[in-house]
Amino acid sequence: MFIWLVASGLTLIFGVLGVLNFAHGSFYMLGAYFCFTVLRHLGANFWIGLLLGPLFVCAVGYVVERFFLRRVYHLALPYQLLLTFAFVLIFDNLVKIVWGAGSLSPPKLDIFGGAVPILGRKFPAYNLFIIAVGPLVALGLGLMIDKTWWGRIIRAASSDREMASALGVRVPVLFTSVFVFGCWLGAIGGGLAAPYVGIMTPGMGETIIIEAFIVAVIGGLGSLKGAFLGALIIGVLSAFGTRYFPTFDMFLIFILMAAVLLWRPQGLFGGAR
Amino acid sequence: MGKILLETRKLSNSFGRICTARDLDLGFEEGVLASIIGPNGAGKSTLVNLLTGHLPVQSGGILFQGRDITRLPIHKRVRLGVCRSFQIVNIFPQLTVFQNVMIPVLARTGRSWRPFAKISGENAVHREVEDLLEKVGLGGVRESVAVALSHGDQRLLEVGVALAAMPVLLFLDEPTAGMNPVERVRLLESIRDLSRGGRTTFVLIEHDMDIVFSLSERIIVLHRGEVIGDGTPEEIRANDRVREVYLGDEMTDVFRITEGE
Amino acid sequence: MKNRIASILLTTLVLAVLVCIPLVSGRFTVYLAMRVMLLGIFAVGYNLLLGQTGLLSFGHGAFYAAGAYGMGFFWLHLSPHPLLGIAAGILAAALLALLIGFFCVRHTEIYFAMLTLAFGMMVFSLIWNVRGITGGDDGLVGIMRDPITFFGLVKIPIQKDTQYYYLILSLFVLAVWVVRRIRISPFGLVLAGIRENTRRMEFAGVSVRNYRLAVFVLSGAFAGLAGSLEAMLESNARPFMAHWTHSGDPILVSLLGGLHTLTGPLVGSLIFVAMREIVQRFTENWMLWFGVVLLVIIMGFRGGVVGVVRQLAEKARGPRGG
Repeated sequence: MFIWLVASGLTLIFGVLGVLNFAHGSFYMLGAYFCFTVLRHLGANFWIGLLLGPLFVCAVGYVVERFFLRRVYHLALPYQLLLTFAFVLIFDNLVKIVWGAGSLSPPKLDIFGGAVPILGRKFPAYNLFIIAVGPLVALGLGLMIDKTWWGRIIRAASSDREMASALGVRVPVLFTSVFVFGCWLGAIGGGLAAPYVGIMTPGMGETIIIEAFIVAVIGGLGSLKGAFLGALIIGVLSAFGTRYFPTFDMFLIFILMAAVLLWRPQGLFGGAR
Repeated sequence: MGKILLETRKLSNSFGRICTARDLDLGFEEGVLASIIGPNGAGKSTLVNLLTGHLPVQSGGILFQGRDITRLPIHKRVRLGVCRSFQIVNIFPQLTVFQNVMIPVLARTGRSWRPFAKISGENAVHREVEDLLEKVGLGGVRESVAVALSHGDQRLLEVGVALAAMPVLLFLDEPTAGMNPVERVRLLESIRDLSRGGRTTFVLIEHDMDIVFSLSERIIVLHRGEVIGDGTPEEIRANDRVREVYLGDEMTDVFRITEGE
Repeated sequence: MKNRIASILLTTLVLAVLVCIPLVSGRFTVYLAMRVMLLGIFAVGYNLLLGQTGLLSFGHGAFYAAGAYGMGFFWLHLSPHPLLGIAAGILAAALLALLIGFFCVRHTEIYFAMLTLAFGMMVFSLIWNVRGITGGDDGLVGIMRDPITFFGLVKIPIQKDTQYYYLILSLFVLAVWVVRRIRISPFGLVLAGIRENTRRMEFAGVSVRNYRLAVFVLSGAFAGLAGSLEAMLESNARPFMAHWTHSGDPILVSLLGGLHTLTGPLVGSLIFVAMREIVQRFTENWMLWFGVVLLVIIMGFRGGVVGVVRQLAEKARGPRGG
């Protein structure tokens, strides 16, 4: 489900801005670290951490978009990708410097009080929470895109940037807001993931970005529904694969990605792009 | 009646519910300088896109010199001799004028696949490119980077690159758009000379009625994807349907002037 | 004219320095120089694809690995002759590039980049998983450098690093020369045209797809050459060579040095390896500084280091009339 959150941010940014944000994994990681720091230093509870942490990440994302990314929109693809990649390097190493290169354990959470018995097996309550969050966020995002004013502008801008601009939409501001929102999604993913996974390392960004990336592609870059379904598919396949083809699961996932790209580049739900 | 170079059979195309081409049956004769005109949205660019391969054909057929080229990819059509220039300047920005024109010549003469030859040694190609540049009037700026040229020169280059492929049938999409009168006259003179030269048959898409009526030997009028007029300039002037469609447009001025004579 | 003389002098100087390195420096410097040249071969061939043709591939590590493993298998099972082994590596890489390229070149830009990434990682996981054949995580080990023999008459030993250095140097010079010739050839001009305006190339009568495939295979071959040379240098071929982060090296390095130049990737390789070695002495986080440098280059100096040097050289020459 964390993959879904990160992938949703990724696909949103790509759909509207046309940029593949390599650094998205780093925002995920920063989300985890910031939430953790808030918890540690403000002694606050989990929810406050979850609220404040991503805001810091959004601030970082704002700086990235406003001062750097915006300048390279008109350039060719390699430059944009490499710019985000440069940020990956910078963020990953900054994290190492500030928080240390080793792994950190987020504090244990007792908010949901241990395990919940379902169907005869005990599930940690936190896991159930995560599973519930996924669809909730998806629903929320879907509603937002479909019903709100902001959502409509996003849809318009992603299908025709020039037209939207001519109609008076302030495209640069829109882009910034979308980027920041995407970062927020990624950061929330990180904040939620940390307690679940149990440890945080500076490398967590790199592992998640490839998975999120694949999910976004399979679902269709730019489509939130697709990303959600993609995450489900990948999740299921991963679990399946690890049980029956333990060593080949990575291979299978990449074959699926290649297959989708070859036969249906728009992914399962993407529009014509 | 000269040789028919290109003909269409019930060529149709639509974007969603908008029909941009409706059962077009057209033929283009060798050596006849033709123009395609029509109000905005009439389907002129669509037609050229279909004929040159820019747009895939939805229904109908296209024959070139007897061969069915309906499904042929763009570069193969160009090799056969059907080419076009673009309305919006579509050149190689960071390359020099000389290099821009050299590329189609290299491709055409089959010399483009040589990875170990030196460009500087391709003398025959060099001479051809010089020739072409003189014909369009760009001899003086051959070493300039394309993106640094004036707009008028860029449009000349646009035509030059299209000519470099030595097409049998060349569609020029609004070649003089945005040019000042001096440049416009120069380009049109070149087109007239080249057309008389006999190697290439030109088909212009134009909005400027002065050019259309003074240069063309044949005018095709499109409206909403259909041909509503096809003939010599005099025939078109006298065509009631055409006048109806152009009512209020500059074309009626042309009618008024000629009628008043 | 002055330009030509200057560049000939510069090239001779660089060659002289390269030739002299094993004679005057310690083992480690020699090793570093070899790594710079290997990365240089990888990058300069890759830049034919990226800088010249404008195609961004994230899977070229797969061809590097193909070269290494191809060479390795050849040595282990067929023949210890180094030159033949290198040829086997190049061939393996080129064939793999032909196969993968066939699927990838029909797509553009972003999809091309992602497809190459996917295929590259497929190769990586394949190598990693098939432990029985490829040795999995450890890779192929024990590749030795046998002397180069010509029909049993001449025997050139390359066992020692200093001797192997000269083999790498010769192949390096050859590779750079080949890339230079391609850049100034009609083929190279067509590639540049594809980069500048793909649509127009179609209308010039060029089958863009074929050219893309050709340059893809060509750059793959260079990657294979570099890979097989590394296999002999380190006596080992590892799956990581096919990982996408390794595929990123030539991209970074070419951008650093200058995408549209011949020497850019070479200068970039030098800076990259040098930075890694020097900065690593002071701080563990040399990648951070590399990221910053990259950022600066993308934001302001897209011609790369070579581009900046050229601009400075022009300013130094003073304004020329008009």
